Amino acid sequence: MTVITEAPADAPAPARTPALRWILPAAGLTAALALPWLVYPPVALDIVALALFAIALDLLLGYTGLLSFGHAAFWGSSAYVTGLIATHYGVPFPLAVLGGAVFAMILALPIGYVSVRRSGIYFAMVTLAFAQMVYFIGYQWSDLTGGENGLQGVPRSFFGIEPVETNSFYFYYAALPILLCGMAAAWRIVHSPFGRVLVSIRDNTPRARALGYDVDRYKTIAFVLSAGLTGLAGGVFAISHGFVALTELHWTTSGDVVLMTVLGGIGTLWGGIVGAFLTVMLADQLASSGFHGIDLITGSVFILVVLLFRRGVWGTVRHQWQRRGSARRP
Amino acid sequence: MTAILQYAVQGLAAGSFYALAALGLAVIFGVLGVVNFAHGAFYMLGAVTAAVLLDTLGLTLWWSLLAVPVLMFAFGVVVERLLVQWLLRLDPLYNLLLTFGLTLVLVELVKQRYGVSGLPYRLPAGLQGRVDLAGVVLPRYQLFVLLFSVLICALVWLVMTRSRIGMIVRAATEKPDLARALGINVGRWVTPVFGFGVALAGLAGALAAPFRAITADMGSNFAIILFAVVVIGGLGSIVGAVVAGFLVGLVEAFGQAYAPTFAQILIFVLMALVILVRPAGLFGRQEATA
Amino acid sequence: MESKRMRAGASALTMALLLSACAGAGPGGGGGAFTDDKLVLAVLNDQSGIYKDASGPNTVKAVRMAVADYQQKYGDKAVVTKIEVTSTDHQNKPDIANTKASELYERGGADVILDVPTSSAALAVANQAKNHKRLFLDVSAATTALTGAQCNKYTFQWAYNTYLLANGTGKTVTQNGGRKWTIIYPDYEFGQNMTKSFTEAITKAGGTVQESIPTPFPNENFATFLTKAGSSAPDVIGTMHAGGDLINLVKQFNESGLKDDGVELAVGLMLINDIHSLGVEQFAGTLFTDPWYWNMDAEARAWADRFLAETGTRPSFEHAGNYSAALQYLEAVQAAGTDDADAVIAKLEGKKVNDVFLRNGEIRAQDHSVVHDANLARVKKPGDVKEDWDYEEIVTKIPAAEGFPPAEASGCAMTS
Repeated sequence: MTVITEAPADAPAPARTPALRWILPAAGLTAALALPWLVYPPVALDIVALALFAIALDLLLGYTGLLSFGHAAFWGSSAYVTGLIATHYGVPFPLAVLGGAVFAMILALPIGYVSVRRSGIYFAMVTLAFAQMVYFIGYQWSDLTGGENGLQGVPRSFFGIEPVETNSFYFYYAALPILLCGMAAAWRIVHSPFGRVLVSIRDNTPRARALGYDVDRYKTIAFVLSAGLTGLAGGVFAISHGFVALTELHWTTSGDVVLMTVLGGIGTLWGGIVGAFLTVMLADQLASSGFHGIDLITGSVFILVVLLFRRGVWGTVRHQWQRRGSARRP
Repeated sequence: MTAILQYAVQGLAAGSFYALAALGLAVIFGVLGVVNFAHGAFYMLGAVTAAVLLDTLGLTLWWSLLAVPVLMFAFGVVVERLLVQWLLRLDPLYNLLLTFGLTLVLVELVKQRYGVSGLPYRLPAGLQGRVDLAGVVLPRYQLFVLLFSVLICALVWLVMTRSRIGMIVRAATEKPDLARALGINVGRWVTPVFGFGVALAGLAGALAAPFRAITADMGSNFAIILFAVVVIGGLGSIVGAVVAGFLVGLVEAFGQAYAPTFAQILIFVLMALVILVRPAGLFGRQEATA
Repeated sequence: MESKRMRAGASALTMALLLSACAGAGPGGGGGAFTDDKLVLAVLNDQSGIYKDASGPNTVKAVRMAVADYQQKYGDKAVVTKIEVTSTDHQNKPDIANTKASELYERGGADVILDVPTSSAALAVANQAKNHKRLFLDVSAATTALTGAQCNKYTFQWAYNTYLLANGTGKTVTQNGGRKWTIIYPDYEFGQNMTKSFTEAITKAGGTVQESIPTPFPNENFATFLTKAGSSAPDVIGTMHAGGDLINLVKQFNESGLKDDGVELAVGLMLINDIHSLGVEQFAGTLFTDPWYWNMDAEARAWADRFLAETGTRPSFEHAGNYSAALQYLEAVQAAGTDDADAVIAKLEGKKVNDVFLRNGEIRAQDHSVVHDANLARVKKPGDVKEDWDYEEIVTKIPAAEGFPPAEASGCAMTS
């Protein structure tokens, strides 16, 4: 049985005082609200959308022990469906995003059903291959998707409220609740009885099976839920950019999000946010810096993290914090 | 009829690259339990090395087919000692992630050093032109690629079945628990086997150099198809990797000839079917399902 | 959940509205003729991916050359003294191009965005130009949609499009005796457009296209397609592939022996960098349309020498095109006396131009296509190459009126 061993699930942290339990979300919320003041608003939205994407992946990787290398399929297909709904029906964008997310879940059902029959390495490769299939379909079906040119001119309707529709600064605040809801949902799933079963499957599948849990069914449901959250993020991303490119479906997008999740810390949820923030900011800064080897930096950092800091940035910080906390107490 | 024969040979020639590289991937997975995401990058490095050898030292393809595997073997050993070995005791996913990061770095380094437009390569005169086999006209080089890779695969097979090293590797690959139970020290072979697998990917790259665009990105699509190949063949199976390599080549060629729109999807459809019907792959051990 | 979300959204919105005074106050509010008292030319292109060599970082140097030439020409009389050239990498990803373009206009104070290869990225940037009412001079993207269905007032296409490539190569080769064609094309927008344009041009010139064979994209293995293409014994095989795929195809074409059967290879889109990277012997004899060649005459050569001194390499037509776009933009700013986009556009529209890149050039007002004479080129044999980058022989000139579609046929409805 393959299992990500080094990353404990959000431990029921006895070390954490009730105050701290509120401080962290409050700080996160403040950061999310302040973000578009600090960085360019569309970039800020990219960060939050990708953070939800990474959290959705972490739901599988950190809490179910399944590394999906094909999540671009759900991110991208939701982006396309969201874009198509917005273009053809002119509905307010949250509705279009919801449609995209539902589509991603429907797509995830057969893919998840087949993929969860394998685990570990096999699961990673199988999901990758399925995502490639979805990519080629999106690519060939250019009447619908615009093929290489992408889906251009996706409108941003929001009940006729002009600032939101035209100004990316206000749009950020209109879209933020959707993404935060997605994150809250991920948190709920992880801390529900269902989430505990997932963790027990991750840690010891035969035992979970012996206890009478239908392991494949639990994994499939987790897969579909993860795809749905990914879809929310992908849909918002599409509306924010006003168009959808084929790269959203490409396997490199799947690779990018794995990178963010591992960088931030597997099995921490917060790590996804940190990972997304770091990667997007790095890409953004490098784009106009005159240095053109972004993969050199991300790749090397990634290797270092995998070799030396397998808890990821967030995981390492939290680990140090908890150690110091428990050292001081007695 | 001649057309079908022609497509078949072309498919097998294209499959040669997959078979050689997948063989390397399978051996590495067998002995180390590592799915080497960087295999496509090693294939690319093989082609780039061949091009650089030709450009700087004037070594033609004949010499490259010898020199590239040797160099890539050494490189593989370095990578294993420096990076891969530290994660062998952990979940195999970590090495998948590590080699993914390594791929990004290698591709970017080649881009920085050799640019993005690709490197030139010239075929030795003896391999140019066409041959006429009873009405089936084929580029000579394609035929050469096919025969050469079949030869290599056969050689590897001989080594695997006749030599002590081969038996150990095969035992470790196909019956890991049994090998350990019999007290075979697999650990000693980890580094050379990784080097060997990398050398095979490099050899496939050198063989592709006269035939394919030599760019930093040439391995990325290749790697994805390679994954499909080993899933179809069965990850733990050496024979499976080779057979599936040629099979995927054929699917690709006939797909391109008769349904070009779906040529690329076909490979993945085949893979999905295999997973549904035989989750462990065509030649894999069924108990590896879980 | 729903009501909580609504409340959160509403309060966030109120907070944002309250504090909005200082946000998004970008340029546009200044008093003088020039926002921020300076002119910003922003190069947005692929500085790390497959189009890096064709335009990339050296385009930035070409644009700087244009600025230097402008400053030297006008000296004290220049209407603006502070001119900045910025460089941004879109990594060949359209979503990054989109965000960066919007950021350049809003935050970077960009008065004009230049270059932008890849059609999907260029179309996205054109949209941003329209929304921000700032200029976008595209050089490296080939889609006719930029000056057709998706044209807008603020977007110009400076160097070439698929129609030019097709008409140049397809028509001229057919007239020179290559009557029976088989076309192999990558099965996506660009390839399909090119095939359509080529088929029209070939048929009009009296030739026939026996077969058009789509291939996957990207693709490495063309053996099957070449066998198929050769089976109908064409005079010419036309390929619409570009970049790495083109190199794959040419390698496998040479090896297939079709050349020995007297089949010619015509290439839809090729840049001098492709010849340089693959080696001249691989391409020898290949026909293609080159909008501009560095050694086509003394004027081009003189500029190419300067470029060589700056960069250590010879320019592609995209480098020269960007130089020309920047120079003509600066001239228009000089004439208008302001960086106000609408005033500059008024000076650009309908202007007849001759410069290093544009020969018999005209900046068409109807569709914002910049039309000019182009060339049909043939790749030299290795023995005829006299110096580095001496790869092309000009077969014939393609007059602007023949190479580009008439403005009425562009399908552009120029509104805003």
